[in-house]
Amino acid sequence: MMNEVVQVLVPQAILVLTALVVLGLGVSVPKARKPITAATLFGGFLAAGSGLLFPLNGSFLHGMVAVDPLSRMFQLVILALALVAVVYAGDTFPERHFAESLALILFGAVGMMLLCATDDLLMIFLALELTSIPLYVLAAFQKSGRSSAEAGLKYFLIGSVSAAFLLYGFSLIYGVSGTTHLAEIARFSGPADPLLLAGIALSLGGLAFKVAAVPFQLWAPDVYEGAPTAAAALIASGSKVAGIFLLAKLLATGLAPWAGSPVFPGWSLLLGVVAAASIVLGNIAALVQSNVKRLLAYSAIAHAGYLLLGLASGQPASFVAVLFYVVVYATTTAGAFGVVIVVEREHGGSRVDDFNGLARSSPVLAICLLVFLASLAGIPPLAGFIGKFFLFSSALGNPGILWLVVLALAANAISLYYYLIVLKHVFVVPGPDGVPTRSSASRTVVAVLALAVLVLGFFPNLLLSPLERAAHPPAVPAQTP
Amino acid sequence: MTNDYLLLTIFLAVAVVFPLIPLAMAWAWARLFSPAKPGHDKQSAYECGIESTGPARVQFQSHYYLYALVFLVFDVETVFLLPFAAAFLDLPVSAFLSLMVFLFLLAEGLVWAWAKGILAWK
Repeated sequence: MMNEVVQVLVPQAILVLTALVVLGLGVSVPKARKPITAATLFGGFLAAGSGLLFPLNGSFLHGMVAVDPLSRMFQLVILALALVAVVYAGDTFPERHFAESLALILFGAVGMMLLCATDDLLMIFLALELTSIPLYVLAAFQKSGRSSAEAGLKYFLIGSVSAAFLLYGFSLIYGVSGTTHLAEIARFSGPADPLLLAGIALSLGGLAFKVAAVPFQLWAPDVYEGAPTAAAALIASGSKVAGIFLLAKLLATGLAPWAGSPVFPGWSLLLGVVAAASIVLGNIAALVQSNVKRLLAYSAIAHAGYLLLGLASGQPASFVAVLFYVVVYATTTAGAFGVVIVVEREHGGSRVDDFNGLARSSPVLAICLLVFLASLAGIPPLAGFIGKFFLFSSALGNPGILWLVVLALAANAISLYYYLIVLKHVFVVPGPDGVPTRSSASRTVVAVLALAVLVLGFFPNLLLSPLERAAHPPAVPAQTP
Repeated sequence: MTNDYLLLTIFLAVAVVFPLIPLAMAWAWARLFSPAKPGHDKQSAYECGIESTGPARVQFQSHYYLYALVFLVFDVETVFLLPFAAAFLDLPVSAFLSLMVFLFLLAEGLVWAWAKGILAWK
């Protein structure tokens, strides 16, 4: 029993050990950035390898640790996104305390991975805090800079308020159902107590912060802009994946009996309203942004709306579509942040004007950015289009959600405008001459991510069918001796 | 059930009204019988602390909180070590190993802080 728990947690343990080693390296050889990054990546790959080698599934310690093929997949996705952030960190974080920034990324990744691998409300809260606290510190990492300090403080304040919301909501759910285990909460399914509905609403509010949906979206633009860009990339990709996965799991397993119906309000209606507000606000506010990082933040708010739309429909098929789309979105946005990192290094800023003539100075990067932004806008051959298509078509299984889908499609047409503005600066507006281009690891990662977006666009089944298999296991599982 | 809550409501009402009565009486007494004659001595903070000097907005070193954090390492260590030591002979090997892991984490934290020069007073 104990042995199996340890086996299930091997990837996380390896990450923690790597973080400790990296901290030690930072103290003993603080100048050696490359070896420290290499050690971090090595530990990350070791953790991923161990996760693939010991695919032990099951629920341990009364659901405190619960791993199934789906959560294992998302753990690997999160790990990959964290390693992307580690590579980006090499190009953004300052010399001072460099090893600490990498260790914090690893600690945050451990939190996100634990978040995917538990069925218990208490453990969810603990893992959420383990995710959030390193991210607060990472956002404020360039503490001498005004904007980074502001980003860290805002993220911390709004984050702790929403954590209080979440904890209060969980305590109400526990108070009514008498258990913290998700499956048992679903089995309780007593009359829809107002207290329970309040608990659900409060918990959803707390999680809305994590995915930057509307009532709790205020931090996103300032944090994305002010935080060191590698930290922003992790917040925008890994943390979003973990948040959406947690929401999907919570709604699909724990709170499924209270989804509500047209005559009786439940979380479905609440999520629908939040999704509509996020889609409208995100897309409209993005129109007037002149900083690409802020623009990506508002686009993140809009995408949180699209994802919540899928969850609000409550269809089993749309849960799979949401999970597919969040992976695609995280890959795309991590890549877009990578482009921003390179532009910041070479052109000295992340305003739209700094992207002028990028197609001339580094054409590969410009094409990668084209792929990312077109995918975010949902232009056909790319992964973003397939994801949105699955998302909206599966959501329509619930006819009550039609108004929301129409709204989302209209807003998506608006979004095309601001993505194209950025691309106009990249491809049409002439830029300054003689900007030196520097080779960096980030460029390679950006190219790989762009390739991933292209491949997923042409062959969505590479990701979709494993997801479907993991989400809906066959009725008679194949017995292996 | 209903009676319990009724009792609570009455208790709440009494709890609110009871302090209000002397306050109202004091206020009425002050309004009716004692004329207001403020003076320097009357308004000085006698028996309630000393007269304040200078503005309250001074900067102070927040360096100390780092020591408090490092102190926490030892503090938490003691809290967990004491019951562990008391039950040491009855514990399996895995408990010993997990506590060693815990101690290792705390020790690495301390060593890291030390090597970073946090313990040197500036």
